[in-house]
Parts: sequence; structure tokens; C-alpha cells
Amino acid sequence: MEQTIFYIFSTVLVLSAGAVITVRNPVFAALFLVLAFFTSAAIWILLEAEFLALTLVLVYVGAVMVLFLFVVMMLDINLTVLREGFARYLPVGLLVAIIMVAQLAYIVGPARFGLDKFPAPEPHGADYSNTREIGLVLYTEYLFAFELAAVILVVAIVAAIALTLRKRVKTNFMKPEEQVLVKSKDRVRLVKMAAEKRDDQQAPND
Amino acid sequence: MLEAIQSALSFLPDGLVTLLIILLKIFALLLPLLGAVAYLTLAERKVIGYIQIRIGPNRVGPRGLLQPIADAVKLLFKETILPTNANLFLFILGPILTIGPAMAAWAVVPFDDGLVIADIDASLLYILAMTSLGVYGIIIAGWASNSKYAFLGALRSAAQIVSYEIAMGFALVGVLLAAGSLNLGEIVTAQQGSVVQWFMWPLLPLFLIYFISGLAETNRAPFDVAEGESEIVAGFHVEYSAMTFSVFFLAEYANIILISLLTSAMFLGGWLSPFEGILPESMLTGGALGLLLGSGIHWLLLKTAFFMFLFLWIRATYPRYRYDQIMRLGWKVFIPITIVWLLVVAAMVVGNVGPWFD
Amino acid sequence: MLENYLPILVFLVLGLLFGVGPILMGYMLGPSRPDSAKLSPYECGFEAFEDSRMKFDVRFYLIAILFIIFDLEIAFMFPWAIVLGDLGAYGFWAMFVFLAILVVGFAYEWKKGAMEWE
Repeated sequence: MEQTIFYIFSTVLVLSAGAVITVRNPVFAALFLVLAFFTSAAIWILLEAEFLALTLVLVYVGAVMVLFLFVVMMLDINLTVLREGFARYLPVGLLVAIIMVAQLAYIVGPARFGLDKFPAPEPHGADYSNTREIGLVLYTEYLFAFELAAVILVVAIVAAIALTLRKRVKTNFMKPEEQVLVKSKDRVRLVKMAAEKRDDQQAPND
Repeated sequence: MLEAIQSALSFLPDGLVTLLIILLKIFALLLPLLGAVAYLTLAERKVIGYIQIRIGPNRVGPRGLLQPIADAVKLLFKETILPTNANLFLFILGPILTIGPAMAAWAVVPFDDGLVIADIDASLLYILAMTSLGVYGIIIAGWASNSKYAFLGALRSAAQIVSYEIAMGFALVGVLLAAGSLNLGEIVTAQQGSVVQWFMWPLLPLFLIYFISGLAETNRAPFDVAEGESEIVAGFHVEYSAMTFSVFFLAEYANIILISLLTSAMFLGGWLSPFEGILPESMLTGGALGLLLGSGIHWLLLKTAFFMFLFLWIRATYPRYRYDQIMRLGWKVFIPITIVWLLVVAAMVVGNVGPWFD
Repeated sequence: MLENYLPILVFLVLGLLFGVGPILMGYMLGPSRPDSAKLSPYECGFEAFEDSRMKFDVRFYLIAILFIIFDLEIAFMFPWAIVLGDLGAYGFWAMFVFLAILVVGFAYEWKKGAMEWE
């Protein structure tokens, strides 16, 4: 049963991950990435990593991919222009891909990874709290890394604002506090002067 | 009762029996939920009607009681319009992705002690994750329609939903602090004792912020700029008709009920009786009176109904917020208040401040 | 633990079917008499004169990015809220420092006017 579910999910995961880089429409690519994240969350649950799996859905599917979709849907990307440089960038791209595959093979290879190194997790009872276990080590043993995460998040806030914030030039936005403070003399200038008679004035028609 | 069904089905293979029982439980939850959604629409029209000194629908059936059924049948026989400019696959996918998570979130909702379909440890996190998926349906529907109004509505709605999700998440952290558990059932039992123990007292600001964020998350008045019929006709679902539209509608109302139920479970003691600690123990446990006054599912439903009524009352009372006001409320008011109050609650938990955390 | 997740899997599938079923039923039961006016995008009776997929205010992206950051922050707070009772005052100060650092970012955001929606 568990194995069947695992194979179903991993098939979907591999296929959707492949679809991310092969489909032409970027919106569909982003949606396949959503599917890939979702199925990997399901596989993490099979590994009894409940908290991480739900956080994956919450943060990656519920937040990061929403931004991706925003960008992809609203940037109005012209696909033909994007494809023009394909041949020129191919060698560099291939090189990067080969390096990444080699790194992956080194880490996930049989020397460091495998059922003998990482056996299937022991099944836990219903009252086992994965979240509690994480909490007990995250804020004690890994406290420094945890506080560093806060610093990184602040850097992200500053960077995001620096990159995207532009003051809008022409807006008709109302500022109620300024409107309330306006006195009549700011808007109207009352000028007092004596009545004058124009020299060239003609006599009234008679 | 479940054992009886299980033994009656014993001639089937084990796995199939488990599956059938799960399906049975799910239908026992979803069918009443659908009924509740249908009659919430009638209640909405009636309540708003009376608030505006009208009678509301009263033609179909006695006092208009069959109105939701007539509406459903009508919608079922309407034409499903598939706009030429739309991306057909995504156009259909939008409503499906809206209702899927809205329904699936109900899997972990407890109705009474132990009366829950999937009793997982991280049930609150699961609900937060599921509700955060709802925004996909809206973005996809708005984009796939290829219509300006739909697109504008989807953008507004998505930005609003994500903004209020933060305040909502912080409020949930406060509940976790108070209960010391992620499991909804345990959160309710942590409020046992008396009315004073209910989390609405130590978490009062978070309680209000959670409910108001709930209004914004479900795109309800006064935060309904995503639909804003006077500005952008109907927002993201302007191109939808017949059943594709009803599916959006169904999801929205199921979410309203879910938010109401969660608010009463997390802040008002869920199925716990308000008479706990006031009336003598014997009156709460024995006999017919005990069934009525003691803790039970009826209290949860009553509290939920109260919050559902609040949704309608607020809709009939307040004018729509302006978009910049909505964003300001979410980011500049709610988030600072929740952060400060979280630290207050944490200090109370660490300092064992009574009567809640001793 | 895993057996508790089985109903959720079933529920998810069923929830999606709850979307597919009615739409399919409505499509089969309802009439289908399309014409070009009916199928054109809704634009209050006018012909649509430009594509609806236009470039958008960068502010929406900023909101989305800030949302990711705060969502992560919430994810960090969930396990802390559970174990605070065990960690005691030490846990309180650990989170206090975390939040203090982030409030600096929040204040920067506020001062820069990133949350202003004009």
C-alpha cells in the first residue's frame, strides 16, 4: 500500500518536473512546478517528516509559487525573443548542467546515500509530534543558524524593496490629514482695494 | 455503528473495507456541509432582507425554504459558457483548484472529542497550508478568462488574501502558544474548565484579528473589492456561468463555515459547554438535561452559527473598504499588533500567568 | 502516523472530484448555443480593443515577495510555539532576538513606504 502510493507520487513528481522544463507556455511550467512541490510534500509525509512536508506546501506552494505565477502571468513574455539566444547559450548551459549532475551524483551516489545509510523511518504512533521534535533542537542546538535565518530574511526584505520600490509620479491619492489641516487662507486670497475708474471708459449708451 | 458496518463488510478485502469506511465518514461530513452551504445562502438573503426591512425570498416552498434547491436546479440547467479568448484547460481548472483545498481542509476538523476524520498531529498547520492553496484558483481563473475585469479582480484578490494570511498565521501562532499543541482537538481540550479558560480572553486581540482576517480571506464584505460589483462587475469570476460559477460559490461559502468553525474551536472552546465550572457537575453529565447543557457537538454548531451570522450582519452593516485602506489595515495595523501580542502571550506562558497558563 | 494521512489523501481526491463532477454535469445538462457575442470577453458591451494581459504595477510583486518572507517567519514560529512551555525563558529570549531582527526589517519597510498603497 505504502509502496504503491510512493510509486504513484514519485512518477507524478518526475513527470511534472520534466514538464516544467519542456512545456512551452511559462504559465504551465509554473503550474507543473506547483504540482512537483505538492507531490514531493506527499513523499515527505511518507518519510514521516510531517512538519517539513506541510511547511513545503505552505511556503513553497502557497507563497513562492504564487509570486512565480504573478511574474509569469503579468510580465507578458514574448516567447520567440526568448528562444533566439538558445544556440549561443547552449554550451554554457550544458556545462552548468553537467557540473550540477556531477555534484548530485557525488552526494546522492551509493557511497553516501542508500537504504543502509538512510533506512526507512520507524513508523510512529498517532500521538508522535514531529513538530515538537524539530522545535526541541531548532531553538537550542541550532540557535545560531536560527538567528542567522532572521538576518537573511531582513536582507531579503531590504533587497526586495531596493529592487522594486519606485515612487509613483502621477497619482491622485488623497491625504486626509492634509485636507483637514487646510485653512481658508491657504486656498483663497482676499484682496481689499478701493474701486477704480477706468480712464477710457465710455459714457453709457444713451 | 462503524463496527457493525465493518463486520457486515467483512467478506471484502481489508484494504477495501478501510477505504469504504473512510469514504462513508467523508460523505457523512460533506453532505451536511453542502446542505449547510445551500441554506447559508438562504440565511444570507433572509438576514440581510430583515436588516433592510424586507422579507427576503418567500415564494419557493413554505417561507421560501426551498429557494436554495430551486437555485441549484436552475444553475444546473444553465449554459456553461466557455469564452473564445480563454485558455480552456486553465479556465476549467480554476474552480476545481478552488474547491479541492476548500473541501480537503475539513478532513482534520474535530466536531467532538475524538470525532474527526483524520486525527493528524499538525492539523492546524495542515489547515493553514490548505487555505493558502485557495489563492491559486483565483489567480488561474482570472488569468485564464482573458478579460480585463477578471484579471483586475484576480490581482486585487490575490494581493489581499496573501496580506491577510500573514496576520492570520500570526494569530494562529498565538493559539499554539496558549495550547502548546498543533492538534485542533487538543487545542479545544486545553480550554477545559470554565468559560474563563477559553482562549478568547488571553488572546482577545488575536481573536478579533483572526476573525477580521477571515472576512478578508474569504473576500467578504467589507473586504470584497475583489468582486466589487460597482467597480469591476464581479471580479475574477465575471466570465464564469452555470456550474463553473456555482463551484466558486460553493467554495466561498464552505470557507465561511470553516472560518466560523475554527474561530469557535480555537477561541471559544469548541464543543465545550459554557456552563462548565458554573453549574454543578451532576447537571452537566446525567440525563437529558446533561446532554443539553453538557459539552457536545451542539455547542460547537451553535457557536459556529453565531459567527456565520456575524459574517452576514457585518455584510449588511459596513460599507466597502477602499483598496489602499485594506492594505494599510493588514500590513500596518494587524501585523504590528499580532507581533506585540505574541510576545505578551509568550511571556504569560513562560511566567505561568493564571488563570490560563498556570 | 501514516494511517492518519490516508483519509486526507482520499479527501483531497474527493474534493477535486467535487469540482469536476458538478461542472461536467452542468455541461451535459445545460444547453449549448454559443454565438460570438456570448463568447467574447465581458467589457460592458464594448468591443475589447486591447489584449487584457497587460503589464502590471510592480507593487503587486513587492507584496508577494514580502508575503513570502513573513510566511517563512510564521513557519519558524510554529515549532517554537509548541515547545515554549519546555524551553521556558530561554526560548522566549531566543524568539525575542529573532523577532527583534525582523522588526528592524519591518520598520525599514514601513519607513520606505513599501506598504503604502496610493
